[in-house]
Amino acid sequence: MKVKKELRFGFALMAVILTAIVVFMPWGHLTSGHLGLLMLALIVVAIMLGFPTAFTLMGMGVFFAWLSYRSVDPSLAVQQTLDLMVQRAYSVMTNDVLIAIPLFVFMGYIVERANLIAQLFKSIHLAMARVPGSLAVATLITCAIFATATGIVGAVVTLMGLLAFPAMLRAGYDVRLSAGCITAGGCLGILIPPSVLLIVYGATAGVSVVQLYAGAFFPGIMLAGLYIGYVIVRSKLQPQLAPPLPAEERVVALPDFARAISETITRKALPGLIAAFKGKRNVNIPAGRILGQLAIALLPALVWFGSMGFVYNSVTAPAEVVDVSGLVEMGMETAPEALTEPPAGGVEEPKAEGIQEPPGAESAAPVTEAEGVALPPGTEAEGVSEPAAASAPAERQPAPLAFWLVLGIGTAALLAFYALFTFARLEIFKMLLGSFFPLAVLILAVLGSIVFGLATPTEAAAVGALGGFVLAAAYRQLNFGVVKESVFLTAKTSAMVCWLFVGSSIFSAAFALLGGQALIEQWVLSLNLTPLQFMILAQFIIFILGWPLEWTEIIVIFMPIFIPLLAHFNIDPLFFGLLVALNLQTAFLSPPVAMAAFYLKGVSPPHVTLNQIFRGMMPFMLIQVLALVLLYVFPGIGMWLPSVLYK
Amino acid sequence: MQKLLLFVDRVSTFAGHFFSWSIVGLTVLISWEVFSRYVLNTPHAWALDAQIMLYGVMFMMAGAYTLAAGGHVRGDVLYSFFQPRTQAAIDLVLYVLFFLPGIFALAYAGWVYAADSLAIRETTFSPEPLPLYPFKFFIPLAALFLFLQGLVEITRCVLCLRDGKWPSRVRDVEEVDVDKLKEMVHVKDEDIAKLDEFVIRQEQKS
Repeated sequence: MKVKKELRFGFALMAVILTAIVVFMPWGHLTSGHLGLLMLALIVVAIMLGFPTAFTLMGMGVFFAWLSYRSVDPSLAVQQTLDLMVQRAYSVMTNDVLIAIPLFVFMGYIVERANLIAQLFKSIHLAMARVPGSLAVATLITCAIFATATGIVGAVVTLMGLLAFPAMLRAGYDVRLSAGCITAGGCLGILIPPSVLLIVYGATAGVSVVQLYAGAFFPGIMLAGLYIGYVIVRSKLQPQLAPPLPAEERVVALPDFARAISETITRKALPGLIAAFKGKRNVNIPAGRILGQLAIALLPALVWFGSMGFVYNSVTAPAEVVDVSGLVEMGMETAPEALTEPPAGGVEEPKAEGIQEPPGAESAAPVTEAEGVALPPGTEAEGVSEPAAASAPAERQPAPLAFWLVLGIGTAALLAFYALFTFARLEIFKMLLGSFFPLAVLILAVLGSIVFGLATPTEAAAVGALGGFVLAAAYRQLNFGVVKESVFLTAKTSAMVCWLFVGSSIFSAAFALLGGQALIEQWVLSLNLTPLQFMILAQFIIFILGWPLEWTEIIVIFMPIFIPLLAHFNIDPLFFGLLVALNLQTAFLSPPVAMAAFYLKGVSPPHVTLNQIFRGMMPFMLIQVLALVLLYVFPGIGMWLPSVLYK
Repeated sequence: MQKLLLFVDRVSTFAGHFFSWSIVGLTVLISWEVFSRYVLNTPHAWALDAQIMLYGVMFMMAGAYTLAAGGHVRGDVLYSFFQPRTQAAIDLVLYVLFFLPGIFALAYAGWVYAADSLAIRETTFSPEPLPLYPFKFFIPLAALFLFLQGLVEITRCVLCLRDGKWPSRVRDVEEVDVDKLKEMVHVKDEDIAKLDEFVIRQEQKS
């Protein structure tokens, strides 16, 4: 029989495992611990065969649990096995961490159906028009935001494959680069909170989901930033891969009144509108219309001064100002960079649109602030702190110098922004207002209320789902059909994850009963590894497992084995979780199970081959490994926020 | 035969659909509870227990539905590359070896567990207790549905071994429904096909 090429990898892996069993098992004197290891190896083989994992785990777990009980007391074995089983199942049914999963999934489906993505992509793309590789950068940002809000990798990749891929190909972008951006960007949703992966890890490892969310925020943004930086640098160095857009593609169509004003008075939005309002030089434009536009144009200023006023209030009250510098540092750094949250490396001229980020960050801040007041002063101050910067230590009473400094710089930036704020940019700003900000506010509100301790993840998820409803209704996409489909899909996804949990908790109970866990611990300790070596080994194993398995399987089956080992090496399970979450990004991109690639292939023109897509993903996989190393070398990237908030 | 299989599919799907609506209840209940606690200042002791129950019932009862829709996660290194007959053979063996004993044990153990709970009229441990035994009866019920669905799947494997192709299933919503997504963003197949010229042009250049 001629074995198909695709099958070789799987069979080879299986052969390796089976040979290892045959060679290393001390067949003469099997202890029950060895039986446990045998079970672990068999489960990997069985999973690779392709039977639904949840039931493989359950069946095998029941069998081996019975074996284990039988070796102690044959008469009670059956009863004990049954008890174990039902108790494990019941504990998953009453698990108050997992309950957040269906809610987040539900929110994701509803938000997806709100159909914001086309508008989101277009507006970000126009806002980014001058950055090298603008389309690719816009793709990554759109992916990051949309994937974060929905968390559905398949849908994000497919949708971007339909929207961004054609746009990039038409603009002459390299097929591989384009494919890489879409696939890598689509997977960001499983890392950037609120993500289901972190809930599953939290439930398995007994780590607080809240801390995981706080911890994963910056690594997620860092990864997105690295992607964007890579794309910008690459397209600067090799412009033929990502040619700049022709001028006519960048033109923003102005509405009549705006064209009238910019032709007769000035192209600058603010003075133009004010001058037109006086009505001396311009006729035909109803005052109400102008007032409306003026209000929109003034929005950034309003939000800026409003939030600064609020900060001033809470600063002069006896509380800390941690947040002020945070807010602004973020604003400042993004100013030259447009909407990307993190500083993403070399950029050319400062762009006006960049300043639109502060309102994004701030408009969410008041939401949390407002509620934060109800809490004790300690939490309150943090309620405001939009990440970054520990630089401004708490000063009291008369507003500290930092505040005025920040106010000054921010105001200057605002002025610069308005100086460059043409009517074209006003149009872009309006588009962003309709697509980017609602999503950003939804995400930040959900995340903020969890991280600052205002709501449990479950509560935030439920309210987020409700927010999704409002969003979908606001975009006139809400109807019974949409809700029905989202409900059914939610049930299927949650059943998939939770039944996997039922299976794996029976399985890991059997594994522990057999003493497999103890044997592994003994073995690992006998290796005398340093924590660094152990960490590298663990991450390497997880990386390898990511090739044949999916992230759900890796976490629910293998994390229970790794977690107890962490204590020996003084590794924080929280930190380990962040590394694992970052590492499992690769599981989506590594062939042959790279789901993302297959989704993209499904909607790409026939001449784009899977190989091209895989090759496009490779640089992004390398970036993921780089991000992993960075996070390990500078644990502060992940651990800083949780340590500030919860210690 | 095929009719019977599809009938069981429909029963599982109906049960799954019916109980999946509890996610809406869950959303509303929790949102209301948050509002009630923070704004009205009247938290309810039973709310958390009710949430847990809604969640537990939803995913347990969706188990058979998900199986009917082929939604349980599979290791996919080899499976999708196999011939349908090979797939069916593997599935058949593993359904008999792992699935049936496991689910049967769960159903039996769950029945005993829930009956014990009923005997003492067990309630939740809370100042405002809710009866707990109906919730526990969902374990054997869900397992029963799964067992039935498992038998159907086994029959499907046998049919596939005979015919060399998988018998049909009940259609259901898909997570990534490409056609629907295409419609959502107004992209047509012709547009995608037209893109090919750009790809080809690129290939020629390099």
